Amino acid sequence: MPDPSFFTDEPQLTPLLRKLRSITRLSARDEQAILRLPAHPRVFTAGQDLVSEGDRSTQCWLVLKGWVQRYKLLSGGRRQISAFHVAGDMADLPSLHLPVMDHSLGAVTNVMAASIPHEALRELLERHPDLNAPFWRDTLVDAAIFREWVANVGRRPAYQRLAHLFCELYLKQAAVGLAQDHRCPMPVTQVDLADATGLTSVHINRTLRDLRRDKLIDLRSKTLVIHDWTRLVEAAEFDPTYLQLDRTLAA
Amino acid sequence: MPLYYFDTDVGGDRLHDEEGLDLPDVAAARDAAMGALPDMARDELGSGDRHTLTVRVRDASGTVVYSATLDLTGEWHVPQTVT
Repeated sequence: MPDPSFFTDEPQLTPLLRKLRSITRLSARDEQAILRLPAHPRVFTAGQDLVSEGDRSTQCWLVLKGWVQRYKLLSGGRRQISAFHVAGDMADLPSLHLPVMDHSLGAVTNVMAASIPHEALRELLERHPDLNAPFWRDTLVDAAIFREWVANVGRRPAYQRLAHLFCELYLKQAAVGLAQDHRCPMPVTQVDLADATGLTSVHINRTLRDLRRDKLIDLRSKTLVIHDWTRLVEAAEFDPTYLQLDRTLAA
Repeated sequence: MPLYYFDTDVGGDRLHDEEGLDLPDVAAARDAAMGALPDMARDELGSGDRHTLTVRVRDASGTVVYSATLDLTGEWHVPQTVT
């Protein structure tokens, strides 16, 4: 699916508005203030780090295009991915308060990201205190997603684990207009899926085969097609509450 | 990096790998095969007391370079009414 911003002259930071609107309500005045943030776009190639563990951040990266992952590297080349981020996500927003990175942020695909200086974000929040809640809510939703991933990696069987990840990544993208009709970008390798679910690539290969054989999904050309959303949700025991996409409940 | 293919067999349910994995060498392929067995076995624990899981590694030319098997067997020592 083409990126909607490709065809329009919408402001550079519009993806951030879409993201925040998916989880909270914003006033027109606050939206304008967000769009006026200074942001410097930069292209990263797949595999490159936006920011690495141990770095001291002075800016946050807003994903404009492509996929980004949070991950930690362990000895022997082992890697645990703890989150996938898409356009509109400010994956290292916590660096505003925790400037020394305790994990890395890497480009899954070629990525266009905008750097927003911490100083500018602080100033925005001082002048527009109503925006503290949406940003706080955003980081709390991320924390809720991490809890779900712990349950996923720790306790769910492989079939359920992968089904759950697909449900989440579809809904997360649909909420910001990057997916619809039970079809969404899924630009990850089997190794990425393995590192995100704590499974081996060999088992991921089998589990994908099982999900396909049961006619729940298809994964081809970096696109996930969900053939039966209801059965996929059942198989995953997926409850979307943790994504907090009902913004009418936002404080 | 060379490509290795991992064919798997869990209780007769076979999968012929067509994706393959890029790995530094055959030793890494061996590690991946061994590592996959307990990973796959974990999902079989709910049913029955006898499981045989096999992983067979092929190189890009189709030659089988390694295989590994895990037999997971439980045995009751008291009478069972339900299995």
